[in-house]
Amino acid sequence: MTAPAIAQPAARRKEGFSAFEMFVFALVVALLAIAVFGPFFAPDSIYSSDIANSLMPPSAANWFGTDDQGRDVFWRLIVGAQTTLLSAFLVVTLYSLIGVTIATVAAAGPRWLDEGLMRITDIGLALPGMIVALGFAAAMGASLRSAVIAMAITGWPITARMLRGIMRQTMEQPFVAGAQVLGVSKWRLMTKHVLPNSLDVLIVKWAGDIGTTVLVLASLSFIGVGAQPPSAEWGATIASARGYVSTAWWTVVAPGAAVAITSIAFGLLGDIIQVRRDPSLRGN
Amino acid sequence: MLMSIDSISKSYNAFPNPPAKVLHDVTLNVDTGEAIGLVGESGSGKSTIAKCMLALIKPEEGRITYDGIDVIHAKGDDLRRFRREVQMVFQDPYGSLNPRMTVEELIGEGLLIHKLEPTAAARRARVAEMMEMVGLNPNDMDRYTRSFSGGQRQRIAIARALVIRPRILVCDEPVAALDVSVQAQVINLLQDMQKKLNLAIVFVAHDLAVVRHLCEKIVVLHKGKVVEQGSRDEIFGAPKMPYTQSLLAAVPVPDPVVGRARRAARRLETAN
Amino acid sequence: MKTVHPLPDEASVVPVRQPLITVEKLTVDMPLGRSGSSVRIVDGVDFTIGVGERVALVGESGSGKSLTARALMRLDRLAKLSGRVDFDGTDLLKLSDRDMGKLRGSSIAMVFQDPMSFLDPLMTIGDQVAETLRIRGIGKAEARKRALAVLDELGVDRAAERLDAYPHEFSGGMRQRVVLAMALVGEPRLLIADEPTTALDVRVQDQVLDLLDDVSTRRGLAVLFITHDLGVVAGFAERVMVMYSGRIVEDGEVASVFAKPSHPYTQGLIKAVPRIDQDLNTLYAIPGAPPPPLARPSGCPFHPRCDQRFDRCGVDLPALQPVGMSRVACHLLDGKGA
Repeated sequence: MTAPAIAQPAARRKEGFSAFEMFVFALVVALLAIAVFGPFFAPDSIYSSDIANSLMPPSAANWFGTDDQGRDVFWRLIVGAQTTLLSAFLVVTLYSLIGVTIATVAAAGPRWLDEGLMRITDIGLALPGMIVALGFAAAMGASLRSAVIAMAITGWPITARMLRGIMRQTMEQPFVAGAQVLGVSKWRLMTKHVLPNSLDVLIVKWAGDIGTTVLVLASLSFIGVGAQPPSAEWGATIASARGYVSTAWWTVVAPGAAVAITSIAFGLLGDIIQVRRDPSLRGN
Repeated sequence: MLMSIDSISKSYNAFPNPPAKVLHDVTLNVDTGEAIGLVGESGSGKSTIAKCMLALIKPEEGRITYDGIDVIHAKGDDLRRFRREVQMVFQDPYGSLNPRMTVEELIGEGLLIHKLEPTAAARRARVAEMMEMVGLNPNDMDRYTRSFSGGQRQRIAIARALVIRPRILVCDEPVAALDVSVQAQVINLLQDMQKKLNLAIVFVAHDLAVVRHLCEKIVVLHKGKVVEQGSRDEIFGAPKMPYTQSLLAAVPVPDPVVGRARRAARRLETAN
Repeated sequence: MKTVHPLPDEASVVPVRQPLITVEKLTVDMPLGRSGSSVRIVDGVDFTIGVGERVALVGESGSGKSLTARALMRLDRLAKLSGRVDFDGTDLLKLSDRDMGKLRGSSIAMVFQDPMSFLDPLMTIGDQVAETLRIRGIGKAEARKRALAVLDELGVDRAAERLDAYPHEFSGGMRQRVVLAMALVGEPRLLIADEPTTALDVRVQDQVLDLLDDVSTRRGLAVLFITHDLGVVAGFAERVMVMYSGRIVEDGEVASVFAKPSHPYTQGLIKAVPRIDQDLNTLYAIPGAPPPPLARPSGCPFHPRCDQRFDRCGVDLPALQPVGMSRVACHLLDGKGA
């Protein structure tokens, strides 16, 4: 009965990636490369308006056409990719840090503290995140920075709740009792033994969250509480182009597609990592 | 007397049922350098006693004293000394070692947190020496434990516990999860360490043959109570209590002639 | 019938039994994920179990003992089997899934280590035991009657009252009896028992062994008992087969194998087990650990751990050869050839 269990870990190591998985990886790598290096190659003209060339359809000179200011849509997307992805990374990293801190304190602390923090988390979970972020951002004054801060302080409850549960499970493992018997401090117990063995799931969530955050950030910018024009951020770009949907569709479709592709790519990356980690999910 | 356990009782909440009492008034002593076996069936409370001895859980009633320290209420320096001098090895060689730590980190952790060696180099040297002592190759120091077999992991666990020179080693079923051909290696190692380091070993096991081999004093437990305790010769040679007798009679012997004779005799007895 | 099955006298002629199941060159390959490659867990196993014979299959983790037994019932869908398993004149490996399904439970039955995972917590004991019969179209009243009879036979107290009880109302030992009843109600001729007593306390283990002993004697039931516990082997089986790294390395009558083991692995195993009836200073310890199936050494898989190895052991794989009444796979038996 032990034999299949022996075969498993070896199986996981040996297996190659499917064509679809390779495609998703390539897409994510391409998006990251574009966001990091793309803006270096952008022509200066995208920052100045050229009314004579406004709303030109896609052509050899302007692959995705030009917008109402006569700026090249393609290069604005590339520059916007950096703003958008960087902001999304920042948001997810910030709220993950908050979530990890709260989860660790709750898991390590006495019962009353755990209970208290989890009730606060429950309240956070019950509130609709985007609406609260909208409120925060509006109160701080509409800007990309406000939107990032607002999302960072509203995004942590899911992470905190999930991680605290996983850490409690990890704390049941024999090696944690072993560390206690050895006499390690509470700080070392949590940071060296419990936390590193609980973070795996966060990596999965992190990839998926980038995708959702790109979408939410674009939405906030679209309704005017995030990045402001002339920023090339995708949501802001869509917002300023929305008047031209019927006359110059490319000005809206291009950034819209960029948002969709990016959020789907990171979402799929999260799914792939999750399935890879848990062989029982395979075959779906 | 190194450690004394004085009439401890322990219950677990079993809401909505009344709390389940798993230990009733258990008393036993551990002397310096002796190997003592706690034996019993599942539900006998033997693992609970081990956890109390390691101060992982606290009994509601009774006292546990280790070398002048009141274990249940120990704090500060007393607790630190207790933690250094009473160590353990668990059953599961897979779950009992942190998978994110290298062998060096695992074995050296006790030296680090109890500040027993001033420098990283000195710690490394002690870890290497300890690995040699338990039959591991010091060249494997920088590896993670996932590539080690169950027996090697148990050696790592033993090295981790012994490197800080404890006076008591509590072992909860340390060989139960190992292959038969590997069990003997670990039993011999424990026996060897006990003699070399004048270590007291508290050996919790369901396998009475292993306990007989390793322990000079035996405590027989049943449903959270001590049924009988005595020397190896007393318990295995002339058990007084019917429960002990029935437990011993049921242990299979790896010898067809003796084994069958024992079973036939026992069946004859139950038939009458 | 409260007797311990007699140990065949070494001097007496061992009765020639009619073979019930004959396994030839059985191999079991398990796939490695989706990559298409596989690993051979059982590597060419031959043996026969006679009618009513009680055989123990002993081995450590990775030896392939469980997969060998499961292959006889074709329980692992992913496993690729080859060779021949002749049961009563039919090759089980060639049967259709449907016919194999009919055979399970009626001709060959199996019990496992963890009784609780094989009992449906929402179904009464009576219904679960009777189910094997109901599947084969036997009427409800008749099935219940026969379920009761088997539970009675296996010493379940007040069986008639407890037919309508649920598994959680039974103790561990009683649950194992119920699982045994489920296996036996179809009146199989071969019972495969995969570590059925490993999770039980010694006193309960002892009762279950007594029970198996009685049932097998009374019904002439052949038992293939998979275990790693040599004590259980010595007390229960008539013959023992020792597996190591996917192959049988020794096969013989229990009395002679324990008295005079031929394979160095068997010798080491017997010396490595502490005994309740003896004091020893140190145990003999076989060095190293059993090899994982993906990293089998060349030649004899045991040679890196063997204290009697010589040049040839690292090169040639020894075949399982008859030696007296036993079979052994070891080059020592050919002499060192020097």
